[in-house]
Amino acid sequence: MSRHARSVEELGVPTVATAGINIVNYALDYDFKYSNGMPIRYVAFPFPIAGQPRSVHKEYVAGKDQLTGQPVMTAIVDALTTPLTDKEKMTDTASSAQAETEPRFLAPDTEENLRHLFKDKEWTDYNPIILPTEERVSEMLTGTSHKPDEVINTIRFMPGNRELTVEKVAIAAVMAGAKPEYMPLLLAIATRAPFGNSTTSMANTIIVNGPIRKELGMNSGTNAMGPYNDANSVAGRFFTLISKTAGDYRNNVNAWESLGSNLQYNSVTIAENEEKLPEGWEPLHVQMGFKPEDSVVTIGTGWSYISSLGETQPAYPAHMLIRDYLRSLSAYGSGATIYVDPTTASLLKDVNGFETKLKLSEWLSENVEKTVASYWGNGVIMTSNMAMAFQGLEPYASWQKMSRDALIKPFNNPKAINVVVVGGSIQTTWFATDFRLNPGVRVDDWR
Amino acid sequence: MNLKRLNAKLLQALFCSVLAILLPASAMGAEENITVMNPAIAGKLAKRVPLSPRLDTLQGKTIYMVDNQWGGPEGAYQLFEEMQVWFAENMPSVKTILRRTEGNMFTDDPALWKEISEKGDAAIIGTGQ
Repeated sequence: MSRHARSVEELGVPTVATAGINIVNYALDYDFKYSNGMPIRYVAFPFPIAGQPRSVHKEYVAGKDQLTGQPVMTAIVDALTTPLTDKEKMTDTASSAQAETEPRFLAPDTEENLRHLFKDKEWTDYNPIILPTEERVSEMLTGTSHKPDEVINTIRFMPGNRELTVEKVAIAAVMAGAKPEYMPLLLAIATRAPFGNSTTSMANTIIVNGPIRKELGMNSGTNAMGPYNDANSVAGRFFTLISKTAGDYRNNVNAWESLGSNLQYNSVTIAENEEKLPEGWEPLHVQMGFKPEDSVVTIGTGWSYISSLGETQPAYPAHMLIRDYLRSLSAYGSGATIYVDPTTASLLKDVNGFETKLKLSEWLSENVEKTVASYWGNGVIMTSNMAMAFQGLEPYASWQKMSRDALIKPFNNPKAINVVVVGGSIQTTWFATDFRLNPGVRVDDWR
Repeated sequence: MNLKRLNAKLLQALFCSVLAILLPASAMGAEENITVMNPAIAGKLAKRVPLSPRLDTLQGKTIYMVDNQWGGPEGAYQLFEEMQVWFAENMPSVKTILRRTEGNMFTDDPALWKEISEKGDAAIIGTGQ
């Protein structure tokens, strides 16, 4: 919205941008400061806007601007006709892209006060942290050959072009309670920081493959997804802390997920149980083109995480129930990640005939159906994909024209349906999620 | 308080005073200051860009209303339609043109921006959420 307004303003056309008050507050502050740079004039409606009937929209237009208290339409007319202030005429070409400064060390204080400071700054997950003294950070840096000042990631979302260095990763690693040997994995994870952030409840997954799993003692077996392992727990928590520190995520400033997500405490951090893959089923990183001996971390983003509950039933095998569960997911980007216990994987292969993971993905792609109404009834799908439908892009254009009750196959890219084997072979359970996986990152490059 | 108990209290106070003189502050429970590293990263500020000059009046002007389809094509379209109604009733000399962007809230639409600059005098753009 602010980018669109700026584009039109730059062509010499006075413009006013409108949005819900929740968005306008962000646009006036964080977006203006770090991204847009133009003092766009805004008029704010009450929230929510989308999904409301016409009668409510009529009231909004007849009502008050949530910023100034003026009648909305008066505020719009004023925004287009009131002469510019000096501040609104300000250009800043000479000192453009100025950097804010952050000292390398914080002011000395007592441990108790520093703990309060870290919480006040929203740098923690509000569980106790290890304070990052220089000595602890130096020790953490012994876990990698990379120089402390090396920039490993420039974080552009949220805006601000924050340059994430190896030293900042080590600081967050200390805070999370990591050991130096975790550093290559944490650096690889940090290249994907920060985690997803939206007004929706975004969640993430961190999947580790290759020898690093054993080197760090990660859990790929019983309770792999639970609080029963140091490396799984710390790596997941690290992603949270680096997202908050390096990503500058702050509640109601630039992090405004309406409900939030409990998964953001650990980001479903697991190691794949490669040793218990059925014959013919490749580890995730090998499917992505890495060598089996490579150590790789793969990070995915989505929203939803559903458990199968109990034992797989022969009369209605796992792939059929997975199909049913996937119907309830958005199919955004055709993305899904299915975590299956080794026992479920064996049943799927030996009893149900899925000789490879891809065969299962292809079956799901072909057999998960949902109604047109259900597909377009998801706000994320509607916002992102309906425009493509209007542009005539398939299959969205056809799906947009079909009757509401018609069935479509929304997981139309089987390669975006990932299968990961994890668990202790104690129960034939599985999880269906809508995580879309990013390309894997080689951990070995960060040793 | 009997005398025996008073004596015990006085002895306890004397003992604590001597300890306070002899022992370092840290041993008495007062915390020492420590120095820790800063996890925050400085952000780069955006380049300041001025607004374009405003109009003297909207009377007789053409205003483009642009729905960027936040929440989908029907998310806020009728909100703009209601604004059109307001202009028709309250500023009838204003011509309004309501358009959707070609893409969505995340994509650009330079062709529409060019059209607005050639045929419009002002714009209202939005709107989420």
